[in-house]
Amino acid sequence: MESTDGTTSVQQPADAELHRRLVYGDESALAEAYGAYGGLVRAVAMRVTRSRAAAEDVAQEVFAQLWSRPYAFEPRRGSLRTWLSVLAHRRAVDWVRGEARHRKDVRADDLALHGIPDASPGPAEAVVDRERSLQLHTALAELPQPQREVVHLAYFAGRTYRQAAVELGIPEGTAKTRLRTALRTLAETLADPPDRAWEGGA
Amino acid sequence: MTEHDDVRDLLAAWAFGALEPAEERAVPLHLARCQDCAAEAEQLRETVRMLEGPPLDEPPSPFDTPFAGALRARPAPPRVARHAAPYAAAVAGLRALLPELPGRWSTPVVHDWDVHATVAHLLAADEHLALRLGIEARVPGARIDEDADWTDTWERRSAEVIAHEYGRRPEETVADWSAQAAELLGTPHARDPELAAGTTLLMGLRLPVAEHFLARAFEAWIHTDDIGRALGLTVPPPPEEHLGQLIGLAVRVLDTVLGTETPPVLFAVRGGEEWVLGSRSDPVAAELTLDPVDFCLLVGGRYAPDAVPRDTTGDAAAVRNVLERAASLSWL
Repeated sequence: MESTDGTTSVQQPADAELHRRLVYGDESALAEAYGAYGGLVRAVAMRVTRSRAAAEDVAQEVFAQLWSRPYAFEPRRGSLRTWLSVLAHRRAVDWVRGEARHRKDVRADDLALHGIPDASPGPAEAVVDRERSLQLHTALAELPQPQREVVHLAYFAGRTYRQAAVELGIPEGTAKTRLRTALRTLAETLADPPDRAWEGGA
Repeated sequence: MTEHDDVRDLLAAWAFGALEPAEERAVPLHLARCQDCAAEAEQLRETVRMLEGPPLDEPPSPFDTPFAGALRARPAPPRVARHAAPYAAAVAGLRALLPELPGRWSTPVVHDWDVHATVAHLLAADEHLALRLGIEARVPGARIDEDADWTDTWERRSAEVIAHEYGRRPEETVADWSAQAAELLGTPHARDPELAAGTTLLMGLRLPVAEHFLARAFEAWIHTDDIGRALGLTVPPPPEEHLGQLIGLAVRVLDTVLGTETPPVLFAVRGGEEWVLGSRSDPVAAELTLDPVDFCLLVGGRYAPDAVPRDTTGDAAAVRNVLERAASLSWL
């Protein structure tokens, strides 16, 4: 996550101080991190999982990770906002993939046992949208780190590309280019058959 | 750059809704005129729309159960008095580093210790105070020897415990260090400042138990920092208030060692207190200012006296004397 041009994020001093308190077990530091980024983390997880309960689980997992393993986040390598957002997204994609695999297994079992297809797969359009969305989120989670960070700030954290550039310590033009390359990559994955999403990785 | 190039560069940011308001207005104007850009814009917007997925059936509502759940991922800090708080935090600080250690136990750290031996050393170093407070030693062979030279006792015991721990798994050493630390923090001496005002002889120094708790914090932090450096991780310095307490202890010990005969030096840590070290009857011969963390690293033996960054004025010999004595405290 080191910015390529050697500049450092403007978030660094505040993040470093919060990290210091997290390392030394100051519970109020976790409360502060949760107050500042809990909404973002839940929103990211919600967007991917489309389930409030799942989003709560993901948020708990993300903040439990920050608290129990503070050295997984390194302030000199990027901002806490981006780190949490990326982690929440990855966990949420994992959750949805697990769900999808589970649903497929259940469907396969049903077929094997009863020889009948699942009677209520839901409205076909919603299912396709759902699968395409997961396909895109999987692709997003696999973007190169520098592109992923700027997408997270612009898309999930609601930053303009200029604000994202400042936060990441990169030139504005670079932020624009990374957004463009990232979104083009995502657009191209839509051309692939949607099923690849959960067969590709995990 | 033409308007076309400008706008095309902005299309992805536009699709994400990440434009500045002024630019936001320029895009639709250009799209109305340029089919290429309009086609690309449409594709990018559609991709972002797909990213959103189908509409949510559940309304979002405020919930904070994730916070309560996350908090349980780490044990609650023990309730201790102010003098033991830096040690409690330093113990939490090393525990926080533990998840990074598996697979890296034999990374060289300091002296001829690897990560495993460094934790074993801490187990031995904390044991001296543990014994004084009536806690049973975890490694055979522990004893209190009032008459022997403390550095000999200290080094012999450290070597013994390290040798013993090399016969065990690193996780077992860590568990014993952690359990002993928890016992120390669970003593009445950690909770009761009056009880901790009683003195005991440790490391050749007769000091209140409260001061020995600070020394334990100092050592735990410095060795955690050693391990972090060895692994390429930046260990942050203790919280500001604790750092101040550790510096206070180091200054008191340094002042005792300097005695009342050495030329007085006005010593300050940047952004903090200042003290006159050495003789109180002569006029100040020199001024010395150090960064708070650098001062601790100097006293911890992690800086050579001539290498530590500093601001000085006045008698260079008097300054050198203070720096050399600070570095020679060598209690770690």
